[in-house]
Amino acid sequence: MKHTKHIESSGITRRQFLVTSSAAGAALILPGSLLAIPVSMPDSEGYLLVDLKKCQGCGTCMMACALAHSGEASYSLSRIQIQQDSFANWPDDVFMAICRQCEDAPCVSVCPVRPVRANKPNPDWGYARMIDQNLCIGCKQCLTRCPFTPSRIQWDALQQKSQKCDLCANTPYLDEQGGPGGVQVCARVCPVNAITFTTEMPEQGAPSSYNTNLRDSAWLKLGMTTK
Amino acid sequence: MTYHGYAGKILRLDMTNRKAVAIDTAPYRRWGGGHGMGSALFWDFCTDKTITDGRHPANVCCVMTSPLCGTIVPSAGGRCEVVGVGVGQYPVSWFTRSNFGGRFSTMLKYAGWDGIVIEGTADEPVWIDIRNDQVLFHTADDLWGKDTWATQQEIRKLLHIKRGTQAHWQNLDALPLADDRGYAEQQSDRTTQKPAILCIGPAGEYQTPHAALIHDAGNGAGQGGFGAVWGSKNLKAISVIGTGGIKVHDPKTLLRARMITKEKYVVNWQTPDFHAWTRVGNLPKPLIQTAMPTDERRPQACQGCINGCRSRYNIGYGNESACQETFWYGPYVRKIAKNSAEDTEINLKSADIVQKYGLNSFVLQPGLHWLEHLYEEGILGPGRQIPSELPWQSIGTLDFAEKLIHALSTKTDIGADLAEGWVQAALKWGREEDLHTGALQFSYWGVPEHGYDPRAELEWGYGSLMGDRDTNTHCFNYIFTNVSAAFAFGKPLRIGAEQMVTLHAKKLSPYAKDRPEVLDYSDANMYSEAVAQLVRWQQHYCRFYKNSALFCDLKWPDFVNTNVSNFEGATGSLDAGEQVFWNAVTGDAISFEEGIEIGRRIWNLDNAIWVLQGRHRDMVHFAPYIYKTIYKKGEIFPFFMWTCRDDNGNWRYQDLMGRSLDREKVEEWKSIFYQLEGWDSKTGWPTRTTLEQMEMGYVADTLEAAGKLGEDAS
Repeated sequence: MKHTKHIESSGITRRQFLVTSSAAGAALILPGSLLAIPVSMPDSEGYLLVDLKKCQGCGTCMMACALAHSGEASYSLSRIQIQQDSFANWPDDVFMAICRQCEDAPCVSVCPVRPVRANKPNPDWGYARMIDQNLCIGCKQCLTRCPFTPSRIQWDALQQKSQKCDLCANTPYLDEQGGPGGVQVCARVCPVNAITFTTEMPEQGAPSSYNTNLRDSAWLKLGMTTK
Repeated sequence: MTYHGYAGKILRLDMTNRKAVAIDTAPYRRWGGGHGMGSALFWDFCTDKTITDGRHPANVCCVMTSPLCGTIVPSAGGRCEVVGVGVGQYPVSWFTRSNFGGRFSTMLKYAGWDGIVIEGTADEPVWIDIRNDQVLFHTADDLWGKDTWATQQEIRKLLHIKRGTQAHWQNLDALPLADDRGYAEQQSDRTTQKPAILCIGPAGEYQTPHAALIHDAGNGAGQGGFGAVWGSKNLKAISVIGTGGIKVHDPKTLLRARMITKEKYVVNWQTPDFHAWTRVGNLPKPLIQTAMPTDERRPQACQGCINGCRSRYNIGYGNESACQETFWYGPYVRKIAKNSAEDTEINLKSADIVQKYGLNSFVLQPGLHWLEHLYEEGILGPGRQIPSELPWQSIGTLDFAEKLIHALSTKTDIGADLAEGWVQAALKWGREEDLHTGALQFSYWGVPEHGYDPRAELEWGYGSLMGDRDTNTHCFNYIFTNVSAAFAFGKPLRIGAEQMVTLHAKKLSPYAKDRPEVLDYSDANMYSEAVAQLVRWQQHYCRFYKNSALFCDLKWPDFVNTNVSNFEGATGSLDAGEQVFWNAVTGDAISFEEGIEIGRRIWNLDNAIWVLQGRHRDMVHFAPYIYKTIYKKGEIFPFFMWTCRDDNGNWRYQDLMGRSLDREKVEEWKSIFYQLEGWDSKTGWPTRTTLEQMEMGYVADTLEAAGKLGEDAS
């Protein structure tokens, strides 16, 4: 089912506007009043779901994500962030932070770049919310506007630009097609299949709606709960 | 120069003057990484290579990563190697090694370092705080005395790191305790990750033999006594947090090979084979040696691992402990536990105790047998010949475990006499006979094996004898565990003996390719050239692929694999073999055999260091009981199954219990081994010809100057 929504502006401040304008070079930045104009935002055609109780904390998804997108293994450049505390108990010892490809993505609506937003649903890739690195001006507003902890937007310190999960649409170092309908490398490499892909939009209001139970009969036979 | 796989620089820590210096990795590139680089760095920076106690101020301890660390190479991305002169062995504490997993090596690479060289001694306790290029020395007065878990949590607190998960992105330049001097601008580098901390507990602070380095809850570099080395240097902990990455030469091939490993060599989740015979290809199953305490748990893995071997539970104990530390106390708990649940609880809490004290429990498995024997014989205990106020009557309880580990860690009670080592204590107590009867089963170099007796498992025993400590190398010994378990529990033998050795021999290039007889452990073949070739293969393979490239010992090599139709494992394969991963990351184009040749070079450098420390073939012996008594009581099973040929040349699995080693024949085997290695068979010392063949003429020069260069065979 396709939905088309209107993007509401974050209401960029004058200070933010001046800062980003000075940093933007040739990029065109719209003032806050114009950013308030609603625009259409189709739903993403794909979403990642995770099982927080299943993840083994190996970080393979993070390293593979950075590798497929950037050609280097890195935590900081990974679009998926796995956090773990060795001194906490299951299931609170691991958290899997994935981009939710939000219905009303605040990171998209806050992007000040015009006439084409740097961060936008990309129709070529199933409307995955994607940041065009060629357009990003490095204003960091998407980083701060993401309402989740940790922010699902990453900062590439070397490029001085933002980046985010694109469902593996732009993966020059992966020899398979990514994006909705293709491969999501984090799900593909996960040794315990704790990450999956769906075309159904999870409920947007519930914080845990992207968490799912991927533990099956094999899991049970390995002596771990499926509840 | 682009360093594919490498960070490009190594951190030298001058503890004496509290200085940190970066050196270029490039001159050490030919040693691969990990152990090889560590040995080469030790060679260059240890000014007195005759030292025989790791607590000597001249000792140099190297904590090394590999090019594969911080990448997705299956079960290789998260290991870390430690080298230096060890503590507590007999008669000499050799230049030795240990290895641990977790997140430390990955984080060190992402901080921009291929390794750490620790030199000198601080005049008071310090901890090291690495944040990318920034390296800070902090006083550790408030950490000294804390256990390993409390130490790590206190450092997190000092760095304002949130407990638990769901933390915000953290700018490194906003962390507290910063020092502006020499700090490179990081352009707001950020991370969501916690620092990785490697530290010592009380056992290390007291410089106790067998003290360990501990990282997170359950990653330990236990062998070698490196906790005592750090304690002698007044080094409490190293914390590292990094925001960088590691360039990979061929990311596409690396990703493809990783997926092939998962999809071809690992058990299929949809149609799972829970009894597969493979090493890299099992589903995640914790290696705890007790009943599982709860099903409310997850597998827990080192970075990049393809099947985690540990767990984190919801019960508040036992997290991240696995394998030996979960049953060091098992035989005693079994005597007093009222039920399985209590047995599990005491064993896992006892594992927590050794993790917190930072003491290697490995030594306790046979060591506690001996102490209990002395107690039962009326020799050890309150008011006895060997005085001890420990509550020996309550052995098996958690209270006793805590008191025992405290005593051993703090050099109190019997820990005072064991402070230089267990064999040393036996001699001090006038118990030399126990080395002959086997009451004290420390097989070689003053350390024990842990269930893989040299009289049965030849490659383990010989490899340890020709090396520096118990080899703790599981290349082949799953033959014993899989086959023995099949016999013990009536499971089907997935691979017959002849097919087993044939499959192995296919992958034993260069020394034993298509020579299945190297795995014939029968009485008739146990001192043969063939077995010597197997030991060479294992030592050279491990020195490069396991100890330097840092493929996990528990997952590699993968000789046989029942998940594949022809049963051929991933090792050396063209689609997901070790060399495929190495080349994809580094841009090298080595063959599988060329990796083993690098391992031979590293092995030779190690032997040169041992020779400078005083090694001569005349001191290369098993403990007397190995020759004088027969192997009759297994630690794991009441039999020890292995591949053997019968009198007609037919292969079968055979029980190897009930035999001893012949001292004279072992001497003959040593000569064969030395000759195959190109070492002087009279001394065991490397020769100039052998060293120069490997571009190590400078090593030959040093040995010659010391009067310890082997003579070339005429």
